[in-house]
Amino acid sequence: MAVKEMPALPNAPAQAADIQELRKPLGRRIYEGRVAYTMLAPTFVFLLIFMYYPALLGLYRSAFKWAPGLDSDFVGLGNFVQLFTKDRVFLNSMDHMLQLAAWYVVSTVGVSLFIAVLIHRLRGGRAQYTFRLGMILPVVIPAIVPLMLWKFIYDVKVGPLNLFLTWIGLESWTRAWLSDPNVALYAVMLRNFPWVDGVAILILLAGLQAIPYEIVESAMIDGATEMRRFWSIELPLIAGQIKLISVLTIMWGVQEFTAVFAMTQGGPINSTMVPGMWMFWNAFRINKMGYASAIGVVLFLLTLVLTLINMKYITTEEY
Amino acid sequence: MSAAGTETRIQYRRSRGEQVGVFLRGDWWRIVLLGLFLVGGIAPLVMAFLISLKTIPQFARQPFALTFPLHWENYGFAFEIVLEFIRNSIIISGVTVLGVLLLASLSAYAFGILEFPARQPLFYLVLSLMMVPSAMTLIPSFVLVKDLGLMNTYWAMILPWIASGQVFAMFILRTFFESLPKELFDAARIDGASEWQGYWRIALPLSKSMLGVAAILNILGTWNNLIWPYLTIQRQTLLPLTPGLWAYQTEYFTRYGLTMAGLLIGSIPLVILFVFTSRWFVAGLTSGAIKV
Repeated sequence: MAVKEMPALPNAPAQAADIQELRKPLGRRIYEGRVAYTMLAPTFVFLLIFMYYPALLGLYRSAFKWAPGLDSDFVGLGNFVQLFTKDRVFLNSMDHMLQLAAWYVVSTVGVSLFIAVLIHRLRGGRAQYTFRLGMILPVVIPAIVPLMLWKFIYDVKVGPLNLFLTWIGLESWTRAWLSDPNVALYAVMLRNFPWVDGVAILILLAGLQAIPYEIVESAMIDGATEMRRFWSIELPLIAGQIKLISVLTIMWGVQEFTAVFAMTQGGPINSTMVPGMWMFWNAFRINKMGYASAIGVVLFLLTLVLTLINMKYITTEEY
Repeated sequence: MSAAGTETRIQYRRSRGEQVGVFLRGDWWRIVLLGLFLVGGIAPLVMAFLISLKTIPQFARQPFALTFPLHWENYGFAFEIVLEFIRNSIIISGVTVLGVLLLASLSAYAFGILEFPARQPLFYLVLSLMMVPSAMTLIPSFVLVKDLGLMNTYWAMILPWIASGQVFAMFILRTFFESLPKELFDAARIDGASEWQGYWRIALPLSKSMLGVAAILNILGTWNNLIWPYLTIQRQTLLPLTPGLWAYQTEYFTRYGLTMAGLLIGSIPLVILFVFTSRWFVAGLTSGAIKV
């Protein structure tokens, strides 16, 4: 109630107050900000202990040959040199990561765009609502459940995939999908068919629904076909959302190794190894913690570069 | 929010005749296509349900079609094991989300509402953490938690997850606090309220839905984490749901009825959460679109 009775502050005195504020000695301003610092203190305590310290320590340890409890030897950039010149597994894992990330982007954007446009074109409002809800519902299934189910689907003896192939007469195609080095990476990649991603669908659908109907209507009056409507109007207008989804998916694809961890642990014979998994392997299976830290730093630099590219070339672009 | 909801719902209401007309004019093939995607997505769960009702011999004879008698006792067996994981997960994710909301809302209030020296530099210091991937901090965090003697306790998960979870929550809360009218806080100050009262009595009550969004996102993140609990918890009785289900499936792998029942029971808690908070869910999941 008090709000309504308050006269709006004129601008000039407010600015004067700001300047006055700045003229005060720094010590006094810091003292007056004590409430703010108190409010920030718990956050920074947690960040210092569990974020900054580990991040800096990771950076530091990447220059050492180090196993906890043992002496550490300074090797400078030696770990990185070894990673990029001698470590075949690491180089292959980067290649696998690129393939996976590329596929995640293509499938997420492609399938989600298709579904979002289909939902958007539905004329029945109730059908639209139902499908929107239906697409988002799987998000609440814990991520480990589909991973485990797909591990079962790929099973060599009882997996439904092999049974299905036998049933339609393609028995020669059946194989141990996750234990055959030639196909294991693709089996991991193609899990979760038909690649419905509820979050991406919601983001794209929100973009489609924000397009003013007058634009679409005038194009339709001028005789634009459905395809033309999509390619010339809708696609350019939701380019921002598509870029956002691509960037988020790439960033996620670079770091992600939960799927590989749960399905194959990087095997067979490293055919599904990704950098995150290789880091895990070095650190916790063969105790090369310094070397593993160096892999973590490479992932950090990769994320950093992607973020910078994103900030410089992608998010600044407005339509 | 609720007003907009009723408006759209009124739009949806069409007479039955009209609905049929709409369906025939072109919705039908879209509905069929979308239906296929839905069925494809749900098929593995249906498969899991059918298998979950079988004993080993039943599965060997007829792996996918229903076989009688139905063995609901598989669920009883799985429930006893999975219930413990669910309890652990609720404690861990619950405490984490409370800590995240408290710390994030306090710092968001300071950054969004208050003026103080070094506000921008401190903010960028937090912002920079968005670029640090969890992979980079994994090993040092593990060593740290080990040195602190937190292995095999709930704290091994709760404390690091509060630290990492509060960053994103702080960003969406700060953006929201900044959008609140400044006059509200000025008026309270003139009436003699302290900043703490401004935080507790004005900012928090006004941002309930944003707090809900931040909470849902945080819960989804911690609930699905497999690697970190796997590393820090060796005692099966302390495992949260995600690594618990993984361990459970590894242990009973060839007893397919039991594993499938366990996976399905493990899916239930978040579904219940979704039923009660679907609005926040939808808002939260699209908030990736919020520009930081």
